[in-house]
Amino acid sequence: MSNIDRRSLVKGSFAAIVAGAMVSRTALADASEPILLGVSGPLTGPNAQYGAQWKQGFDLALDEIHAAGGINGRKLAYNFEDSQSDPRQSVAIAQKFVSDPRIVMELGDFSSPASMAASPIYQRAGLVQFGFTNSHPDFTKGGDFMWSTSVSQADEQPLLALYAVRHLGLKKLAVLHQNTDWGRTSRDYFVNAAKGYGADVVITEGYIADDRDFRSTLVRVRDANPDGLILISYYSDGALIARQARQVGLKQTICAASSVYSPKFLELGGEAVEDVHLGTRYFPQDPRPEVRKFIDGFKAKYGGQEPDAFNAYAYDAMNMAAAVLRIGGTDRRAIRDAFAKVHDVPMVIFGSATFDVESRRIKGAMNAELVIRKGQFTLWDGKPT
Amino acid sequence: MSSWLDYTINGLIVGNVYALVAVGLALIFGVSRLINFSQGSIYLVGAYIGWVAVVKLQTPLPVTIVLVATLAGMVGLIVERFGLRPLQNSVRIAPLLATIGISFVLDQIVMLIFSPNPRALPSQLPDVRFQVGGGTIGPLDLLIAAVGVTSALLLFLFLRYSKLGWAVRATAQDRDAAMQMGVDVNRVNQAVFGIAAALGGVSGMLVGMYYNQIDTAMSLQATLKGVVAEVVGGAGSVPGAVAGGLLLGLVESYGVALFGTSYRNLFAFLLLISVLVLRPNGLFVSARQAPPEPLTGTFVAPSRPVRLPPWALLIAFAVFALLPLFPVSSYVLQTLINAWLFGMLALSLTLVAGTVGQVSLGHAALLAIGAYTSALLSLSLSFPVGIAIICGGLMSAALGTLLISPSFRLRGHYVSIATLAIGEIVSLVILNWESVTHGPIGVVGIPPLSLFGYELVGAPSVYWFSFVVMVLLALLQVRLLASHIGRSFRAIRDDDVAARAYGLSLNRYKSLAFIFGGFAAGVSGGIAAHLYSYINHETFNTQQSILALTIVILGGLGNVAGAIVGSVALVGLPEVFRIAAEYRILIYGMVLLLLVRFRPQGLLGTI
Repeated sequence: MSNIDRRSLVKGSFAAIVAGAMVSRTALADASEPILLGVSGPLTGPNAQYGAQWKQGFDLALDEIHAAGGINGRKLAYNFEDSQSDPRQSVAIAQKFVSDPRIVMELGDFSSPASMAASPIYQRAGLVQFGFTNSHPDFTKGGDFMWSTSVSQADEQPLLALYAVRHLGLKKLAVLHQNTDWGRTSRDYFVNAAKGYGADVVITEGYIADDRDFRSTLVRVRDANPDGLILISYYSDGALIARQARQVGLKQTICAASSVYSPKFLELGGEAVEDVHLGTRYFPQDPRPEVRKFIDGFKAKYGGQEPDAFNAYAYDAMNMAAAVLRIGGTDRRAIRDAFAKVHDVPMVIFGSATFDVESRRIKGAMNAELVIRKGQFTLWDGKPT
Repeated sequence: MSSWLDYTINGLIVGNVYALVAVGLALIFGVSRLINFSQGSIYLVGAYIGWVAVVKLQTPLPVTIVLVATLAGMVGLIVERFGLRPLQNSVRIAPLLATIGISFVLDQIVMLIFSPNPRALPSQLPDVRFQVGGGTIGPLDLLIAAVGVTSALLLFLFLRYSKLGWAVRATAQDRDAAMQMGVDVNRVNQAVFGIAAALGGVSGMLVGMYYNQIDTAMSLQATLKGVVAEVVGGAGSVPGAVAGGLLLGLVESYGVALFGTSYRNLFAFLLLISVLVLRPNGLFVSARQAPPEPLTGTFVAPSRPVRLPPWALLIAFAVFALLPLFPVSSYVLQTLINAWLFGMLALSLTLVAGTVGQVSLGHAALLAIGAYTSALLSLSLSFPVGIAIICGGLMSAALGTLLISPSFRLRGHYVSIATLAIGEIVSLVILNWESVTHGPIGVVGIPPLSLFGYELVGAPSVYWFSFVVMVLLALLQVRLLASHIGRSFRAIRDDDVAARAYGLSLNRYKSLAFIFGGFAAGVSGGIAAHLYSYINHETFNTQQSILALTIVILGGLGNVAGAIVGSVALVGLPEVFRIAAEYRILIYGMVLLLLVRFRPQGLLGTI
């Protein structure tokens, strides 16, 4: 030991590093190892809550996948890297995933800046980036390795407009939307559809997602004299708006996008969200077998907790990933090609899902028209409120 | 017309909330001349203690308030005793950085215990509503107002008429003199932190009840609005903080009334800038009061910088230059690319903050200006990417200097607050100027980096590109600092009165520093835009400004090599701690605290 000089020590350790790198590159996962997915998403930072919800949805889906025999006999696992929804970190994670031969597909990220900043890396390296909350219309245009099960707002918003204008009979609408890429895109599709159904949009107000005070905005809304409020919100801001709308004396019908569909919306909104209408993709008493399996399984696994929309997206995404892997195996390119081949995968959001190969998205989301009655989400009975 | 009454009432209601936060900040600023960035976290802690009391223990409201005040006050005492007191003989900047570290730690602890999901915090007051104008107000609005006004009044009386209050004010005016007169300065500080934290905790709880919602993201927002309200009212003045909060609420409400919701924060920050420029002491503090101690000079730690021997620098350069030739993963390269990009930002900030003493908290705005300029030029006017990036740098230099120039007369903390506001304003303009920036939709499909027609897409080529650019900027900056301009910069930092007496034009040199610094930051933003291919108004946010400042302080203010070492450390550390998953930001915060504690002059020392 003592007669090893510094130079040979450096040389030796360098050789060891090189050798180690070679081994890890050539070592192919054997069949007893689980198939590994990479997940890039927020576990800390301002969007941490959504990452936590993803995990719940993933874990439930994995339990069911394993109970059904896994992926052709192999287990499925995921490696969740925290990006804080920050593009700087999501690009580093992307490099990490593409250079890790065990990762066969990537899921996420949450926000558009983080997801779309990483897209060029996934596209060039030939690893599928499967974004399941990425509603930005240009996300899948990043390349043929970008696929998404996020409900296209071009599909969702006309359904909401149909509910508000045709079924609830609202004629003068005020639209409040998150001023984000999602909120803006949704607003545009909604306004077009609502006008097509013959309603007037008397005011639209975009707000910053972490705003908490909406009273002045709501006075503006009141002065525009609408007969219905449309919320393109998430559950926490949606609940705040509903509460404050009642406080400033607005008594109009409120109609909300499916993203408020969460038990938290009821908890945070309290009495103020009573009689709020919302269009969703499924509902608690939904008899569809995939929905029953999801809701009952979720409650059993998480101590009676009701699942919300983000749990459902993650659950669906993991099931879709499993379906793709069953066809595509573990080769990254074959997996990309398998996205075009899967058909009629049972999903909570879409019923049964087949990708549109052109847009790399799924068309035709399910639709349920709900209303909150006595603090519960219930199927709308057709009576106006 | 009745709508204006409603807007006024709504402005006062939300102003109430801002005032409550501002009072706590003002108290601490009044005594220790410290912007306590951890006040928002204490507010958060108070809200969650309140949740435990109300939902789990089901205590009645008076008990809840006492419980929250006591426990939050204790957290404040712990923060003071273990986070800040060890730094009292350290440089001014150390406690500021420590409060940032403490807020990371507190926020993360709350998040780990309670999960990041928002929770409902039901109000314990009877649910009656009073009709005022077109809307209604509830008992909670009145309670918040009462707590704000009463605490401001009590504090005012305490400071003016009690013995401990005198000691507090004496300490605020001159610490050393107070000590010589037998004031136990530590006890004073302790008292102040305890009171401010108790107040902060109770405000967090009340505001949580008001919205029936608490979540872990509320802390940064509270700090931001609280700081604005405090400065508008007059930093350090408790009644001023209440007035500033109410005024801020009104301005926002009228802003919404006139221009729409998406402009709301724009008005808040424009108000701040105009107050700073026109009445830097705040609206409600008499102009005759001695201006707060200039923090330049004392702000930067005098230290003997670590002189890196040239051979060490050469070796480091060679190692990093040759790194991609070795079998290192592209993940490591990408992390270092991020470090080089932040290195350029840190070079820029270390020049304006360290060398000239203008501590900027809005540096991400320069990134954003450079990024948007470069992205839009290359997309809509088909500029070659290399030229577009240089144009981004030039635009950042020009626009950044122009925006900051009204604040050149400010000193110390006020510069930081002004730059914080400018940063927010730039981001809000990007959000709202849709015809140019595409607003929230962002800029899509930005072409990748390229040089002389060759696309740089692999990790190694991007690595070399950003490394070379950073090294060039660093060498340029070293050259600048060694010239007479560099000496003038330091003279202004160390004593601006003497510098002016010596015939230096302060504004001209400050402009020079911002032009050079703006260029470096703009280039960094430009490269990032082409690397990401997609940017929107959230890509370059306040957290990046704070990270940049942390990097610069960690490396040693004004220290060129330190800025680069600091950015490798602070971009690399969170990646190293990835293994700790949810705990990594907590660990990061603690490492930051330890560094501040044991090496306040930065790793390589200030120059």
